[in-house]
Amino acid sequence: MSGKRQSGNTTLWSLVLFATLVVFAATLYAIFVVAPVEQQMGIVQKIFYFHVPSAYAMYIGFAVSALGSAVYLLKRDPKWDALGVAGAEVGTLFCLIVLLTGPLWARKAWGVWWTWDPRLTTTLLAGMIFAAYLALRSMGSAGEVEKRFAAGLALFGLVDLPLIHYSVQRWRGVHPTVITGKGGGLESEMYWALGLSFIAFTGLAVLLIWARASMERQREQTARLRFELMHR
Amino acid sequence: MRAVIAAFVLGCTMLIAPRGLAEEAPPEPEPTVADAKKDAAEERATQFVGVRGPEAESVPGGALLLAAYAVVWALLFLFLMRMRGMQRQTAEELERLSAEIRASGDG
Repeated sequence: MSGKRQSGNTTLWSLVLFATLVVFAATLYAIFVVAPVEQQMGIVQKIFYFHVPSAYAMYIGFAVSALGSAVYLLKRDPKWDALGVAGAEVGTLFCLIVLLTGPLWARKAWGVWWTWDPRLTTTLLAGMIFAAYLALRSMGSAGEVEKRFAAGLALFGLVDLPLIHYSVQRWRGVHPTVITGKGGGLESEMYWALGLSFIAFTGLAVLLIWARASMERQREQTARLRFELMHR
Repeated sequence: MRAVIAAFVLGCTMLIAPRGLAEEAPPEPEPTVADAKKDAAEERATQFVGVRGPEAESVPGGALLLAAYAVVWALLFLFLMRMRGMQRQTAEELERLSAEIRASGDG
């Protein structure tokens, strides 16, 4: 039964991978062929199509990490801890992408690599919180205390996510807000490219979290087996 | 994790290095006797002249775009390589533990 379930999971994972690759190819076509060059910023605006979905994938990663951590604190089930680790790693990866691609766009648009805008600052803060989570988990074999402390850190990091999202509305800053409920911030071809990119990055985030959580469970089982062998 | 940190440091270096090179001052001309008499306050710039047309500063958008997409693919690649390394490490550990179990069973 377990083997059958494993096989089903592998098939589903492969299907999601295939779909993600197809959507990525369509996204690149939409970005570089279909979507027009922006009038004011020129070609550098096309960074936006990877930058914004990366931020969205970062939200997914950090939210999954907080979810896994919260359930782990309640149930003490290692599979939820594995999900917390996977979410934190994938979220940090996409946070790094956001923090590196953003300045490359800003250099052209604002004339500076970095400014202490509320959205930039809160994003950096989230990255630092989850980097601390990963640093804590990477210190040798994490014991129960480290796992629980890291889980608390992930929940603390979750508080920062709404701050990132609403910082552009609540506080004055220079970060653009072209995606609003009112609409009209993008041309239709740009919306298509961005929409496809959102789907591609969602698929990528899901795949990476899935694979990393599965690996973390294997590592945990291996560590437990080693411990049992040592104390036999 | 080390690979991600190394990529971050490399990225920062790539961002900072061109700026540092661009900020290097051109060689100054030999000071004359008249110049030597000036004090520091007199040597300050007293006007700003705007540059217009093709001579205006231009930030290469194409290069920045290329760098941004390269960063995305490079970080994803490094992350996948790290996962591959971890997978290999776990497989080796399992193999070692299996060998230990077999050996203890034989003994």
